[in-house]
Amino acid sequence: MKRTIMEKHYILHNYLNGTATQEEIAQLKADPEYASYIKIAEATKCFDTPDFDEKATFNAISEKLEQQPKVKKLNLWPTVLKIAAVFAVIVAGYLYVDSLETTISTSVAEKQNFNLPDGSEVALNANSTIEYQKNKWDNNRTLELDGEAYFKVTKGNTFTVQTKIGAITVLGTQFNVFARDNKLNVNCYEGLVSVAFNDTLIKLPTGKSLQIKNGTLVTEHQSVTEKPSWIDNESSFENASLTTVLDELKRQYPITVQVDDNLKTKRFSGSFAHNNLDLALQLICAPLNLTYTIEEEEDQVTIYAAKNK
Amino acid sequence: MDKNTTICNEIIFNKVYKAHGKAIWRFIYFKCGNEAQAEDLVQDAFIKLWQNCAKVPVEKAKSFLYTITNNAFLNEVAHKKVVLKHAKYHPDKVENQSPQFLLEEKQYHQKLQGAIANLTEAQRTAFLLNRIEGKKYREIAEVLDISVKAVEKRMSLALKSLREEIGEL
Repeated sequence: MKRTIMEKHYILHNYLNGTATQEEIAQLKADPEYASYIKIAEATKCFDTPDFDEKATFNAISEKLEQQPKVKKLNLWPTVLKIAAVFAVIVAGYLYVDSLETTISTSVAEKQNFNLPDGSEVALNANSTIEYQKNKWDNNRTLELDGEAYFKVTKGNTFTVQTKIGAITVLGTQFNVFARDNKLNVNCYEGLVSVAFNDTLIKLPTGKSLQIKNGTLVTEHQSVTEKPSWIDNESSFENASLTTVLDELKRQYPITVQVDDNLKTKRFSGSFAHNNLDLALQLICAPLNLTYTIEEEEDQVTIYAAKNK
Repeated sequence: MDKNTTICNEIIFNKVYKAHGKAIWRFIYFKCGNEAQAEDLVQDAFIKLWQNCAKVPVEKAKSFLYTITNNAFLNEVAHKKVVLKHAKYHPDKVENQSPQFLLEEKQYHQKLQGAIANLTEAQRTAFLLNRIEGKKYREIAEVLDISVKAVEKRMSLALKSLREEIGEL
């Protein structure tokens, strides 16, 4: 069977590509021209290049690569992480400081007036502490009180004063809280105050005051004043024990007081000023038939029963 | 990017060299017939590959190497005659050939060798890639970055000029 030149060429390429059949190759070889092509192709297969030293070349490449100035890839990650870390510390620190409780405290013979973030006014009596969270104040008007403070609360959501004994909640009013040791006194001067004590909730209207002492509750009327007397640097008492009076005295003056135990049960009604110790002691002692001495250097006050008038 | 899948990993780079280093050297040798030049070009190609390791995926390494050497070769001027050695024998060659036949065959090979050296660089590279490396037209087209038709043409022309130079048997 004769084949055209085109066909022969096609078969030749198939042969070179390794896809021609034996039969086709045999047919191709019948043509002397193509036979010589095949011979050339076959013979060329026997040739090879000189040997290539694979290992030596690789070593040469490795050597050259080491000599080359290293193309340092600009790796931004560590830098970014460093900056991010610094920012994280700053932000965390800020958040931490921000979440810290704000503490305001007064020492003996010191009073402080300040405003809360919502504009409520607080007068903090001597030796008292108030803690609250500034950043949460808008949503949660809650503060902790240890001591005595007078509040003028602006209208808003619930305002809570936490004390060791009970919680006082109001909406907007003026009231005084005395929370020391086992005593809790709440005086409401305006509006309505509710005091949560144990499981009971006591509503305290204007002009009323409430006393909790050693777990027992006493509600009593309050003398009609517009604000607690201590705001005006005067402590007032009504039928209070001498201990209570002297405790307050010690808060208002940096002194220590010595008094006989049998005198402590005396009851006192009246007031003393915060700016004159001598006068204050006179005011306390005279009605109770007591005398006192003041040792200036050690701020030591001794009170004893007057021998004779 | 995962470092284990890039050529920047020395083990991967090593593997790529093992897989393609020799073939590339032979490829260049077919072109220029100069061992030293081929070696230099292989070294340059692999150094370039390492420098661009982050940009070249492993599967593209082969074509990257061929392209680099192809381009580098175009820039080279001096061409030497390709010297091939007679390394392999026909597997179907039978022993007990007459001395006469062996001599004729030796002369034939020498002639063929000379004729191959005289081929143009383009024809010779395609022809030897096919004959010695056993590459299919498609593969040759790929490494030379030309069409399969162009490979066919180079092969035909190569065979034609070889036959003309060594004459009929």
